Amino acid sequence: MNNILKAVLAANLIVITVLVFIYPPLMIAPGKLIPGHKQLETNCFACHAPFRGVASERCTTCHKPVDIGRLLTTGQAIVKPLNSPLFHQQLNSQDCLACHNDHAGVMRFMQQGRFNHALLKKATSEQCQNCHKPPTDLLHQQITGNCAQCHTQEKWVPTTFNHTQYFSLDGDHKTRCVTCHVRNDYSRYTCYGCHEHSPVSIRRKHIEEGISNFDNCVQCHRSASEHNIRNEDGKRNSENDDD
Amino acid sequence: MTTSLWRQHILPFCLLLGLLAIATLAGDYLLHQLKLVWVGRYLGIPGIVLIIISLTYSLRKRKVITVGNPKSLLTFHEFTAWLGSLLVLIHAGIHFNAILPWLATVAMSVNVVSGLVGKLLLGQSRRHVQGEREELQLRGFSMFEVEQALFWDAVTLDAMTKWRKVHIPIFIVFVILALGHIISIFLFWGWV
Repeated sequence: MNNILKAVLAANLIVITVLVFIYPPLMIAPGKLIPGHKQLETNCFACHAPFRGVASERCTTCHKPVDIGRLLTTGQAIVKPLNSPLFHQQLNSQDCLACHNDHAGVMRFMQQGRFNHALLKKATSEQCQNCHKPPTDLLHQQITGNCAQCHTQEKWVPTTFNHTQYFSLDGDHKTRCVTCHVRNDYSRYTCYGCHEHSPVSIRRKHIEEGISNFDNCVQCHRSASEHNIRNEDGKRNSENDDD
Repeated sequence: MTTSLWRQHILPFCLLLGLLAIATLAGDYLLHQLKLVWVGRYLGIPGIVLIIISLTYSLRKRKVITVGNPKSLLTFHEFTAWLGSLLVLIHAGIHFNAILPWLATVAMSVNVVSGLVGKLLLGQSRRHVQGEREELQLRGFSMFEVEQALFWDAVTLDAMTKWRKVHIPIFIVFVILALGHIISIFLFWGWV
């Protein structure tokens, strides 16, 4: 029994070993290749260097960075509209494997939709709108550029910006961003963008109260509530809170 | 087969084997939930290292090494091999890509089962069947009646004995298949 078992196991191992060399994609490859590389399926060493893996230089031998998105590897022009703009030409270095992998089994481990923006040249990385469509919600419709004010290149959400810590957008302040941030410049604001507040009326009200420093409104006013007023140091005024 | 052998020995064995399966699924689930799926790719390394370390007992048993208490080393062998197998199973995940590593996983799983048979079932089952046999003989049953009463227990015991014998040959198969997988990884992956 033992000898028969050993012989059967040895025979199986020999068959498996032979199959590895005859059908390497089936036996050892981590999943199918992408359709575009199907013809390379039986030639592992077209991309892999023994013990050194895949080098980007091997990719760029066929996929010339300057032609990516413009020409096929056969030299024919790409006619169908591209889903993404041309940006491979704007990369600092050609690290193809940072984003691409051809085997289905390996792609499963990659974080989909993640792109290391550090690969882009600085000037290109600041032009978000070249690659990203702005969201269509009411807030973003009013904004052009300056994405980095709220978003990082690591993650779209969470944003780094919480408007309430500066001013709560309640009451009549649920308005368009440009009402306060003229020309979508979020480094500045004005409270005189609507009919309610005018420099003359604000000045008169504050002088009546003996307040001379009223240039920076949000230093004392953090919401539409007339009772939510802070002193000049930014601390809550408890007397007003009790009103 | 009497129900006692099933209840007392085979059921706990199934439960312990199920624990390995549950731990594997839980590990895989956690990696997915924590978005650490990539970690699974590397769990094969500590897994195989633990399995190699577990072989200390095998070396002691065959007197290749002479230090160490065999009983403690056996416990160490069981623990490290079980844990190593768990890591390899999580590493394998539920993704079916290449055939060779999956054959290695199957061989390892068979090896684990045969190991558990040896640990949990064989000795106790032998004692159980022997006890039953002696009791029936004391109660005046003939040899034929005793053998008839214990027929299914004897068949089960025989199957377990054979299963136990698979442990070493199937381990060698696992080693060869795992080596094939490891060599292919070294050959094609960019380690440098």
